[in-house]
Amino acid sequence: MNATTAPSPFTASSMAPASAASVIQLADIEKVYQTSTVETLALNRVNLSINRGEFVSIMGPSGCGKSTLLSIMGLLDEPTSGTVVIDGRPVTSYSDRELAHLRNHKIGFVFQSYHLINDLSVLDNVELPLLYRKGVSGKERRQRAHAALDKVGLNARMSHFPSQLSGGQRQRVAIARALVGNPEIILADEPTGNLDSVMGEEIMDLLLTLNRRDNTTIVMVTHDEQQALKTERIIRFFDGSQVS
Amino acid sequence: MIRHLFTLIWNRKRSNFLLIAEIVLSFFVVFVVGSLLLYNLNNYSQPLGYNYENVWEMSLDPGPDTVARREKIQMLMQRIKSLPGVVGVTRSSVNTPFAFSTMNTNVQYNGKQSPTSDFYKVDDEFGKLMNLNVTEGRWFDQRDNAAQRIPVVINQAFKDAVFPTEKPLGKILTEEKGTRQWQVVGVVETYRAGSDFSENAPAYFERRLDDTVRTMAGYDLPWLLIKVQPGQGAILEQKLVKEVLGVTKSWSVKTNTLEQNRISKLKVVLTPIVVLGIVCVFLILNVALGLFGVLWYNINQRRSEIGLRRALGATGLGIGGQFIGEMLVVTTLGVLVGVVLAVQFPLLGVFGVAPAVYGAAIAVAALLIYLLTAICAFHPSRLAAGIQPAVALREE
Repeated sequence: MNATTAPSPFTASSMAPASAASVIQLADIEKVYQTSTVETLALNRVNLSINRGEFVSIMGPSGCGKSTLLSIMGLLDEPTSGTVVIDGRPVTSYSDRELAHLRNHKIGFVFQSYHLINDLSVLDNVELPLLYRKGVSGKERRQRAHAALDKVGLNARMSHFPSQLSGGQRQRVAIARALVGNPEIILADEPTGNLDSVMGEEIMDLLLTLNRRDNTTIVMVTHDEQQALKTERIIRFFDGSQVS
Repeated sequence: MIRHLFTLIWNRKRSNFLLIAEIVLSFFVVFVVGSLLLYNLNNYSQPLGYNYENVWEMSLDPGPDTVARREKIQMLMQRIKSLPGVVGVTRSSVNTPFAFSTMNTNVQYNGKQSPTSDFYKVDDEFGKLMNLNVTEGRWFDQRDNAAQRIPVVINQAFKDAVFPTEKPLGKILTEEKGTRQWQVVGVVETYRAGSDFSENAPAYFERRLDDTVRTMAGYDLPWLLIKVQPGQGAILEQKLVKEVLGVTKSWSVKTNTLEQNRISKLKVVLTPIVVLGIVCVFLILNVALGLFGVLWYNINQRRSEIGLRRALGATGLGIGGQFIGEMLVVTTLGVLVGVVLAVQFPLLGVFGVAPAVYGAAIAVAALLIYLLTAICAFHPSRLAAGIQPAVALREE
């Protein structure tokens, strides 16, 4: 990742004392997508801080940079410039291995299209993050996957394959997978986008419960104003810039 | 992770079936060609059992001349032997070393039939001239003139097959239906006359009796082997032909060195092996390209899975390793099936090839297939490792 040298309240040295409760901080984040003919500014000098235990919604029209922002927060993508700080530590110079370790231990992902592996059972899908964690035995993986499925009420379906589940159930499996590693942060990209209103409510309730009961930090991209209103804070984007 | 890979492969068994079938087939082809190559290589590494250097082969055909053949042959041999540059001369049947003719039969010992064995009709000089290594008993000599039965010298392979626990000297061999009998007077170590790649098969030498008109026709034409001093060439060949014409007047004669015969035979033996090898290489290349294409396609199909795994904590190297691991699991399944099939060859004694040759061919085939799949998986796996997670996740 490229760090800017421009003065900012979020530079590594100045940020830590002022943001003890922050779990994610973004400073002067810019993201430019460049092809041979077109240069698109997806994010324009975004400064953002997400506090520990907070449930934040990110809203905005399609193409305004919400998902790009989430990818940068989740260390899946690199900003063109700016600094990302996770848990007080800038990840500017992290290696691929260190980034993978951070994603595995600190962050859980929930995607609009679930992203389950169709050839693996529900239990095997939920176990996946622990597969990339050293020192976790097969037995422990099973136990933790059972516990995560229990949290989302899908223990009875653990031997099923994703194709045998409804959309809502698939998203519950995806949430169980995000939870299994006990991450501090859950990044959810339109988690109810593919679900009907009833299923969407169920998933929203589940996320709210996780936030309130376990104090899990959740950042959710959504188009649904009603669901966004249930969260603690709404951040709005337009054309790559934060507008509120 | 290994359990996870096996789970993935098992759950994708339908889509992996053709890939496994391709690996089984490739393994089997490599095994068969490998067996052939190793069998020939193993034979090649064995001693021939004789010295063919500076030995010339002279084939004679009396044609319609039936007058005093035996006397003419004897005179011719004496005159050839006295020529400067000639070390010795011996009489042989047409199946001289590296010849395209073979003579084989089965004999009986104590009512049990011997394996099919090559036999050679030679005279008393043959053993010395060809530098055969007599390990038991002796070569033919004047003592055999009074023999009641036809004297024979067997090779070690014949001894192992017919007399595994007995001393062969003095033992009587008989025809299955007939009255001819042979008596073993000696054992030579090895005699592989066919080619450098011939097996050390059971064989025996029969002492040539005096020729009659009847026996000097067809397969029993008078062929001579002439040992010459090193460096002899066309001048001596001309002298030889002159001697033949001088003695026999009308017999046709053809002279070759055994080295020339050896090279001619090598070409014939090696051609099918080389052709088979080339076909095998093309097949393996096709398989390699196929595997490469399938893996490339798989990776493109699984980009979102790769993105997901990266999001969940897999490193780029880990993703590359996973794809190579999957390929090795698929290869292991294919090789296991192939080994089960290949093991039937030594168990059933197919083609009479030594089990060790089949064992080595199985090992070589397995190694080659693993190497091939690892090479084919390497580049697509590197591509997979380089996929950016955010890009891959957006693609679904």
